[in-house]
Amino acid sequence: MDAAEVEFLAEKELVTIIPNFSLDKIYLIGGDLGPFNPGLPVEVPLWLAINLKQRQKCRLIPPEWMGVEKLEKIRDHERKEETFTPMPSPYYMELTKLLLNHASDNIPKADEIRTLIKDVWDTRIAKLRVSADSFVSQQEAHAKLDNLTLMEINTSGAFLTQALNHMYKLRTNLQPSEGIQSQDF
Amino acid sequence: MTEALDLTGRDSDAGSEEVVLTPAELIERLEQAWMNEKFAPELLESKSEIVECVVEQLDHMEENLRRAKKGDLKIEKFFPHILAKEKTLHEGELSSLSPEELVFAKQYMANTETYLKNVALKHMPPNLQTVDLLRSVPKPDLDSYVFLRVKERQENILVEPETDEQRDYVIDLEEGSQHLIRYKTIAPLVASGAVQLI
Repeated sequence: MDAAEVEFLAEKELVTIIPNFSLDKIYLIGGDLGPFNPGLPVEVPLWLAINLKQRQKCRLIPPEWMGVEKLEKIRDHERKEETFTPMPSPYYMELTKLLLNHASDNIPKADEIRTLIKDVWDTRIAKLRVSADSFVSQQEAHAKLDNLTLMEINTSGAFLTQALNHMYKLRTNLQPSEGIQSQDF
Repeated sequence: MTEALDLTGRDSDAGSEEVVLTPAELIERLEQAWMNEKFAPELLESKSEIVECVVEQLDHMEENLRRAKKGDLKIEKFFPHILAKEKTLHEGELSSLSPEELVFAKQYMANTETYLKNVALKHMPPNLQTVDLLRSVPKPDLDSYVFLRVKERQENILVEPETDEQRDYVIDLEEGSQHLIRYKTIAPLVASGAVQLI
C-alpha cells in the first residue's frame, strides 16, 4: 500500500471547520453533511475540509490534541514506555501533515507542533525497528502490535513481510520434507 | 436520503440472506474488501454484490467511477489454480471470480497456451510438447505474513512453531488489537469478516 493510499483512508476522519458560505444539507453516499452557515462550526471529513480551505471557503479548527502541551505529554509518555502507547488519532501523522501544510495559519505554534510530532514518530519507528529485529532473531511466529497506526505499519510492512516470507521458505526447506509440497520443474 | 439498501446473497437456492445496509456502511464494506484483497496472498471471494450496489449509488450520484477490478495481477499470476478451483466448486460454495473475471481468466489461459505452443513447444521433440500449467505456474503462497486488525474477538487460534524447538501454542485475539502472523492460520477469519487485513 502506498503512503498516498493510507492518506486516502485518513481523509475520512472528521475535523471541525468554520465555513464562510452557506449551503443546505448535502447528501453524499458516505453520509449527510451540513447544513453550512457562515461563522458556525461544522464537522466534515478531512478531504472536504482541505478542499474548502484551498478554495478559501473556510477556516480550520485544529483538533484538541494538536496543542503544544498535549503533544509534549504524549511525546514524553511515548519515550518512557517500552511498548506503543495509544495515539490521539489512528491517523495522527496524516492529520498533522495535511493540516500543517494547508492551514498552518489556523494552527497556533505550527512549527513546534511539527517538531513534536516528528519526535513522537521517530520514537515509535525506532521501537518498531527494535521489535521487528527481535521478531526475526527469535524466530517468533506471531506478534501483537496494538496501538500502531496504519502509516507506521505501512512504512516497513511490505519489506518486513517479504523478508519473513523468504526466511520462512528457507527454514522449511531445511527440514526433511514429509508433508511439504514442492513443485517439480 | 440515507435510504437502506438490500444486499441479497448470491445463491438463492440456499435461501437468500438479506442484509440491509446504509450507503455509508456499504462504502465501509467496500473499503474493507479492497484492503483485504490487497494484502491477502491469494484471491479472495468475489464481492460482486457490493460492487453492484455501489455502482447503483454512483450512477445515482452521476459519478463516473468504477471500483478497480480485483486482481491486481493476481488472476494473471495464479490462473491455472484459480480455474482448477472453479471446476471443482461444490454446491453452495461461492465463486472467487465474477462472471467477467471468469471469462478473462479462461481467455488468458487460452492465450498463454497458444503463445507457449507457437513460440516454444512446436519446436521441441514430440514427447515433450505438453506443458502442465498447474505444475509449472507457482501456487499462491499462503504462508506469507500479513498484518491484521481484529474486528470480532476470537479464541484459541493455533500458532504453529517456526523452529523445531518451539511448540504449538494458542492465542486469543482481542477485539481491536493488531497482529502480525502467517496468512494460513487466519485465512478463514478473513473470509468470514472477523479480521481485517491492514
